[in-house]
This record gives sequence, structure tokens and C-alpha cells, in this order.
Amino acid sequence: MEMNSQAFLENAREALGDPEKAKRRDIMAAFTPMVRNAAMESFGKFEPLRQHVRRVRQHTLDNLDHYLDLFEKEALSNGNHVHYAMDGEEMNRIVLDICQRHGARRIAKGKSMVTEETGLSRHLEGAGLNVTETDLGEYIVQQAGEPPSHIVGPALHKSAAEVRELFLSRHDLGERELDETAQLVKEARGVLRQKFLEADVGIIGANALVAENGYSMLVTNEGNGDLCANLPPVLIVCTTMERILPRAEDATAMMRLLVRSATGQPHTCYTSFYSGPRREQDTDGPVETHFVLLDDKRTDILASDYREMLQCIRCGACLNHCPIYTATGGHAYGAVYMGPMGSVLTPLLTSLEESHLLPNACTGCGRCAEVCPSGIPLPDLLRDLRHAEQAAKLSPRRWRQGLKIHAWLARHPRIYHGLTALGIPLLHRLGRRRGAFSKLPLAGGWTSQRDFPAPQRKTFMQAYSNVVKAEKKRQRND
Amino acid sequence: MTKSSRSRIFAKVRHSSRGASAEFIREELDSFGKAPSAELPATDTATAFLANVLRNQGTAACAANRTDAVREVGQYLYQHYRTHRLVAGSDPRLAAMPWRDAGVLPRFGAAEGNEPAALSYARLGVAETGAIVTFTGKANPAANNLLAEHHIVVVDCEDLVGDMEEAWVRIRREVDRDGRPRGINFIAGPSSTADIEGQLVYGAHGPRGWHVILLGHVPDSTLDDARELAAG
Repeated sequence: MEMNSQAFLENAREALGDPEKAKRRDIMAAFTPMVRNAAMESFGKFEPLRQHVRRVRQHTLDNLDHYLDLFEKEALSNGNHVHYAMDGEEMNRIVLDICQRHGARRIAKGKSMVTEETGLSRHLEGAGLNVTETDLGEYIVQQAGEPPSHIVGPALHKSAAEVRELFLSRHDLGERELDETAQLVKEARGVLRQKFLEADVGIIGANALVAENGYSMLVTNEGNGDLCANLPPVLIVCTTMERILPRAEDATAMMRLLVRSATGQPHTCYTSFYSGPRREQDTDGPVETHFVLLDDKRTDILASDYREMLQCIRCGACLNHCPIYTATGGHAYGAVYMGPMGSVLTPLLTSLEESHLLPNACTGCGRCAEVCPSGIPLPDLLRDLRHAEQAAKLSPRRWRQGLKIHAWLARHPRIYHGLTALGIPLLHRLGRRRGAFSKLPLAGGWTSQRDFPAPQRKTFMQAYSNVVKAEKKRQRND
Repeated sequence: MTKSSRSRIFAKVRHSSRGASAEFIREELDSFGKAPSAELPATDTATAFLANVLRNQGTAACAANRTDAVREVGQYLYQHYRTHRLVAGSDPRLAAMPWRDAGVLPRFGAAEGNEPAALSYARLGVAETGAIVTFTGKANPAANNLLAEHHIVVVDCEDLVGDMEEAWVRIRREVDRDGRPRGINFIAGPSSTADIEGQLVYGAHGPRGWHVILLGHVPDSTLDDARELAAG
């Protein structure tokens, strides 16, 4: 998709100006944390499980050479072809090559964030192939010509009425009602069933790769990914190497966190492990299978201070709990990955120059870190990126200078306290009558959106030192 | 295989790895122990399994023997379709069932595009998640799990396990004996989607009905207990 992270502020403003969509986001913002919390509460051992999976994944990343080697060996011995792509362009080229070698025209595609990242569908369509996204949400946004607005629920920004209009215009099926969601789902099922049966190649992603046996794990509720993996004669699994886990039980332990965090379920309807092409005695399944492992800066992230970001399992919990994401929606970010995880990942996968605004899309509330099933310190990583932004002089000059002055004052507490002891009582006197300021010199950015409350008579430190003095006096008198 | 990208990626990964020995890596991994699993809704594995099947929006029945099991299949088909049309994989355990007792004659093979119902004999049932496990292959073509409107699954009582870790112990044993199947499928409910306005709808791409028949001797109250747990 087109990158326009630089337009985050304009996009966000526009999103906030659409009350109907904002209302739908508010409902999701109340609903998704509720189901996630209920699922975690009934599981009861969220923290021990999070710690366990984190240790296993840390261990896997620390020894990735060993596990990558092992996974490749097992995947090859299962009969797969294994390809490596340094960047998105190379992945797209490899996939197109495979499709063309088989004379493929119709592609059924499961949900895969990696292929969103590389713009695979557009690339294949550009070469004349017919690509159908088969996850219902992905299918809806594909038909609408829009990017996904959420990594788990790509079309949650759309109302059922909008989907109805879309289907009426895109599906040539004559007069029909389509007033209920179930009817919309049924229609999509009918249209897509044909696509599955006709497809020459299936493309899916992977939620995990199992080093000990070379299987890939696929987690879905719709079963669309499984249809892509089982019906077409050729299967291509597009993924990245940080999905590798040592053992099958590590993948299902991670799955316990993933589904509860994403949809509040204890188990998705379909959790499938695929090893490779059909066996001699099998009656169905693809005859040829490929893994395409994309790097696209993962090895750089692995060698950097942002390594923990590779533990992300793409559950979307940080999006659902982020006040910025829930206010602006996913499209405002102008990137494939959005919300807190996207604001860390996008600058790392593209460049800080292109997307330095995103790490600023953070109130520092810390909810993302609290709910992250991988225990990624997202607010810390966002702060580190803001530091980098500052150091690279990407933020506005006045902002940088203001922060520099603030940093100097913060390092000189006597002067800081002296100045605030002068300023605060003055503001108190000036704002006493109204209780707030609608305009303030040097704080126009703040007061343009909201009032600045008039402070108390004394600063905290003044009030505190009075308490300390009183306490000392009391002790002396005792 | 794109050799140059492969060697570049391997070199970069090696550079960031610890270079530990295989033995050290194995020992460290073992030292993490077992992951915590979900608590079962009942101490009895069969009750817990059935309760979770029901929570997954499946329907369930118990059958003391194979005759009861085929009768249950026949009833389910008749209730939904007023027919006895059924497709089942070439599983010797399914072939050996007394189908005539229920007037059902399954077609043994892979499901086609518009099949009303498919029958699988599960390798395992997992109480922790209420999932059944099938392997792809002649005994259960993958299409049978996915293409029919209704998926009926028979699970033996002896094949129930507590959690996912136990499931892998059993799966490894079978894989060691028979080799790796192409696909290992954990299925926990009918196909569903909430992609339009977050509203849950069943029958997204796969079956909209999922019926689990637990075969073997369990106390008479098992299913009622499971229903109570699932409702509560």
C-alpha cells in the first residue's frame, strides 16, 4: 500500500471528524478489551504463561542460527522448497515465479500481514494474475480497494450497510435483500467457495514455524486459510523467520496467548499444522509446497536494541487498548502495521524519516505494555524512537529547542524550583477567576485544543517542603 | 533456492546469535519446563471435553457403543436434512461400523464442493480446548473437515487428553510410528467470522454445524453435567 505516515496528523484529524465511524470505533474500543480481559481472567495464569512464552521466544531469537538451520533441514526433508528473500520485492518476485512456472492464473490467498507488507497481491495482479483475498475482512477491503484498518479485523471500520452496498455493486447476483450480516456472510461464502475450488495456487501466512519438525502453524476461525492450504495444487507459505519456535508445544503455548489476546477465545476454530506436499497415499492436498522466508530488515532489528519487537505475535491487543488507535482508527497511521506495535515496527521497517510521527502517537499510558502477550515494552521502544527522532533532528526545531531547555532545567533542580515558584503563583492569581486559561504564551499548541487549568497557589515542591518542615518541627517538639 | 539471499540472511542471523552448542541449547530449553495450561472446567476429562465442545458452539452426544454411534449419526443427518447422505474418509474404524443399523451408507472418500455432511474419526480430543484432532490422509481427507455444511466427528473416550502438551505426546507417538502426516488439524467449533461489525456468524467458509460424538463408556450424567457447565 501507499505509505503516508507523514500525513498522520491530517489523517487523524479527518478520522476524528467522522462521528459515525468514531462511534463504531468507540464500541470496538469498549468491546475488544472486555472479551480479552474475560478470557485472561478465566485462564487465570496470564503472567506465568506470558513469562514462559517470552523465555522460549527469547531463547529462540538468541539461538536463531541453530533453529533456522534446523527448521530449514526439516522443512526440506518434508518435501518443501525453501526460499529466502532479503526484501519485499524479492519475495514478490519469487512468488510470481512459482505461479508463472505452473501457468497459474487464479490465486486464493489467506490472511498474511507479511504479504500486506510486501504488496504481494498488487504485484501478482500487475502480472495479470487474479488474486482473491479469502479472509472475509480482507476480501471486503480488497473489494473496496482499501488497506486493512486492523491487523486482526481488517474491515471493522466498515458498517454492515457499507458492506451490503459493496457486495451489491461487486457481485453480479441479481436482486436480493442482504439486510442481515448472516446474509452477507452467506453470499461471500458462495462467491469465495468457487474461488477456492478453481484456484491454481494457494498462498497463506504462518503464525508459527516449528523447528523440530518443519511444520507451519496456521490459526483461523473462518477456515479460509485451510481451504487455501488444502485445495489448490500448489501452496506457498509466506512468512518471516522470527515466527520460528523450537517445538510444537511451544507453538500451541503461544497460541493460548494469541487467541485470548486477539479475540478472547480459548482456541480458534482451526489450528492447523502443515508439513509439506501430499504423501504418496494421500487423496488430497497440494502436490508442491514452498516456504518463502522474508527478511526485510528483521536481521537488522535482531542486531539492534529493538530486538524485543521480534517477539510480537500480531494479536492486535495493543491496538484495541490504545487510546490513540481507538480514537483515530488504523488508516490514520498510513502504514501496514498500526497502533503501538505498528508505531514501533513501521519506522524500523521503513525509515525514521518516513514515519517519525508515529512514535509520537502515544499518550504514554502504558496499557499496550500491560496487555501485550509477549511482554514487549512498547512505551519504552516508542520513547527510544522519539529519542532517535530528536537526535536525527526530524522533529520541528522549536519543539527540539523547547525540549532542550526543559532538559537543562530538569538537570538543575534549584533553578527549576525557583522558576516554578515564581511562575505558578502568578498563573494562580491570573487564572483564579475563570479557573482555566483558553490562551497561554508558549503553550499555544496545548490551548488550541483544550483549556489549561489554573494551578493551585503553590507548587508541589513548595507544599511538600512545608509538610516536611512541619514534620521536623513536630519531631523537635516531641 | 536463492543462494545469495540465503547466505546473507544466515550470516546476519549467525552474527546476532550466541553461537551456543546444540547441547547447551537443548538443556536451556528443557530448563523452562512446561507452559501453564488452562484449567479444566471439570475434574473428569470427558465432562471437561464435552463442556468445552459445547462452549465452542458445537453440539455433542455420547454413544456407549458403535451401534449407538451410527444411530446418532443417522439421527443427526435426518434432523438436518431428512436424508442419510454422508461422506467419510477411508478410515478402517469408520468402515467397520454397523452402518446398516442406522440405514446410513456413507460414501467413503473426499468431500466435494457441496456436501451436506462429512464424518471424521478423530485421533484425539483435547479437554483443555474442546478441540478434536485429525490427520490429513486417506483416512480423513482435509476436504472432509472443510467443505461440508456439517462436520460430524467421532472421538473415542480413550483418545481424550487433558491439555495440548499431552496431545503432542500422543501425536509424537503416532508420528514416530507412521511418519509425519501432511496436516495435523485441531478443530474447535464450526467455522465462524466476526469480520462484519464484530457480529459472530457461523458457517463462514467451512461447516456451520459441528457435532461431536463421544464413543465409549462414560457415566450417564456426563453430557448433562457438561451442558450445565457450558451454560454456567
